[in-house]
Amino acid sequence: MKKLVSLLAALSLLLTAVSAFAATPVAPTELAYKGEITLMHFSTSEESEGNGGSDGFRTTIANWQAAHPDITLTQDVLANAEYKQIIATRASAGDLPDVFLLQGMNTISWANGGLVMDLTDIIKASPYYADYNTAYFTPFTYEGKVYGYPVLTGGTCTVVIYDKAMWKEAGFDTFPTTWADVEKAADYFSGKGIDTIAFGNGGKWQMNSDFISTLGNRYTGPEWFSSLIAKSGAAFTDEAFVKALKETKRLFTETKIFNQDFNVVTNEDAREYFISGDAAAMIGGNWDEAYIWQVLKDTNEEKFNNIGFAVLPQPADATEAPNSQNIGLGYAIAFNPAVANDADKLAACIDLAQELTGPAFSSYVAENYALGGLTAAGDVDFSKFDPITVAFYNWSYVDTTTCEIYDSYISSAVWDVFNTDVQSMLNGELTPEQVAENAQAAYVANY
Amino acid sequence: MLDALKPKKSTIILYLFIPVAMFVFTVFVPLVTAFYFSFFEWKSGQTIYTAFYTGIDNYKTLISDSIFWKSFGNNIYLVVACIIGQIGLAFVLVMFANSKLTIGKAVHRTFGFFPSTISAVCIGLIWSIIFHSKYGLLNWFVVNVLGGAKQAWLGDSAHVMLYVSIPLIWQFIGYYMVILFSAIAGIDQQIFESAEIDGANGFQTAVHITMPMIMPTLLVCLTLCIAGNMKAFDSIWTMTAGGPGYSSYVMALYGYTVSFSQSNMGYGSAISVGIFVLSLAVIGGSRKLIGLLTRGLGE
Repeated sequence: MKKLVSLLAALSLLLTAVSAFAATPVAPTELAYKGEITLMHFSTSEESEGNGGSDGFRTTIANWQAAHPDITLTQDVLANAEYKQIIATRASAGDLPDVFLLQGMNTISWANGGLVMDLTDIIKASPYYADYNTAYFTPFTYEGKVYGYPVLTGGTCTVVIYDKAMWKEAGFDTFPTTWADVEKAADYFSGKGIDTIAFGNGGKWQMNSDFISTLGNRYTGPEWFSSLIAKSGAAFTDEAFVKALKETKRLFTETKIFNQDFNVVTNEDAREYFISGDAAAMIGGNWDEAYIWQVLKDTNEEKFNNIGFAVLPQPADATEAPNSQNIGLGYAIAFNPAVANDADKLAACIDLAQELTGPAFSSYVAENYALGGLTAAGDVDFSKFDPITVAFYNWSYVDTTTCEIYDSYISSAVWDVFNTDVQSMLNGELTPEQVAENAQAAYVANY
Repeated sequence: MLDALKPKKSTIILYLFIPVAMFVFTVFVPLVTAFYFSFFEWKSGQTIYTAFYTGIDNYKTLISDSIFWKSFGNNIYLVVACIIGQIGLAFVLVMFANSKLTIGKAVHRTFGFFPSTISAVCIGLIWSIIFHSKYGLLNWFVVNVLGGAKQAWLGDSAHVMLYVSIPLIWQFIGYYMVILFSAIAGIDQQIFESAEIDGANGFQTAVHITMPMIMPTLLVCLTLCIAGNMKAFDSIWTMTAGGPGYSSYVMALYGYTVSFSQSNMGYGSAISVGIFVLSLAVIGGSRKLIGLLTRGLGE
């Protein structure tokens, strides 16, 4: 009997192990390097709970470390907000770690300063290059040179998450495609003491990343932003962009659509308004979707099954891409140029970057979270996922068109001024024209 | 015997060297390096080695930087609000707590001091919850007791400085109460008894006896209050991050944003030097002013 129990226990352990490692393992590359590699990133253990990209990143690091026990991988792991400031400070001090995550908006200035290694030829030589989604390299490319392997999962920054049952009650079978219809719905919801759409701009960046980046594209089209990035003529003061700012101001200050405190609370508050039923919808990023999915799945099955996804409604005077949403990979794995002084170390860093962005990572996030990264993972088996996860996958990667995430490009010095001024504009202290002029001045001075 | 116990002069110097070295490293070195780098352009992409000398350009920018001066104005607002709120209220509360009729004086002292032991970030979070527009205690009171409408308190640009001052005042009243308690304890009780026999009421005793006799302590409190509020940062950062827009920016917050969010270390250093100079000027100026005023009172 004891033998039978032991056998069953061993079998169950084996099955668990097999299912846990169903994803592609890291490549067993022979590496000559035996020393230390310093790695700085922001996939903390807390972040990885429910966040597929972080979980996949941490899991792949652990598997790579296990496959290369002779290499000491010294990790400095910080929460995202702290990471951004510490890595920028270390860059200013000329003290970057061997491997780190480069934010798209820093690519040009750090490349000009010689702080990041040119990886163009190395990336082209990658065994996984044929499966890379090369569009993801754009924020990390400058003057034809590529400075990083885009990393983590491609997630939207602007999604409308709504409660289908609440909107059906208001007379809408699907989420409205125009702001005019949303305003009609706002009359209904405000009569019931419910916010139509919850939004949180207390951190100042949300209005840029989660709203204007997509709404602006509806007015300007993608060429305007490409020109702004390339410094080839476009300006913040261009009429189309100012119109987008005017529409943003109108929607937030002259209609009853958004929560009164949108300029004070953060996206964390906004999603709680949605979860609690104080708001019929919210606008946020994929990180908000992951949180709402997790909370409602565990606490409110009925509301969970009523989750719907939509793109921003189209403004009446906008003429571009009505089905667009801004999606991309905001960070890339980059190397300190000093790594190249030791060929063996460089080879080890390349192998690490390739695995963290290659099939080992992408198959893990595809199979466990229905998410995609830099490398195509093949067809995703949807049969084991819940309908909300499948719906979000289709919404993110299949059913919508894409546009750029503004603050993946240009410069933090520009966006900091712009974000703060937009908050002032929405409090009635600046006009859209003044916001555009100030942003243009910061752009000229810092980019 | 005494000579045997007395440490050598070199040992004393060596021990004294430790705090001096710590002071130099934590205060003097950052100040000097900030001053040095304030003459450089040191932006994103440049390192400490590639920053280049630009003379007094950063200071020219600073002088015409409306956000910096708005932040300075907000610091002055905080200083005035906290002098009235922290020291003024602390003095009034100490007068009440020192009354013969007050029971549980030690309890007042302990509980009053308690908030000043809490981290400023926690204070900011606590008050963010109190001010929260949907679920906050303040709006609950406004709606259910006063019958008013909910307000987005921290989104009101015109009054946000008042709202971010309240937690600072609340936090440090007890701190100044403890200082004033100890100062008043040093006054000879016979003076108060004589005043009582002469028919002086509580207000007259406070203004004509207590206040002049603890004036040196009040001056210390004033200096501490000004210095503390010229470098205010953490609770405001937690509550509003300087918003809406620049409405609740203070100088330290602006210096931090320029240095770390905008990665402009050179100009951030110039702002730090500006904060240092302006703080010295405000503290020095206020001490001179108080000195003049009290000399007038003495005559």
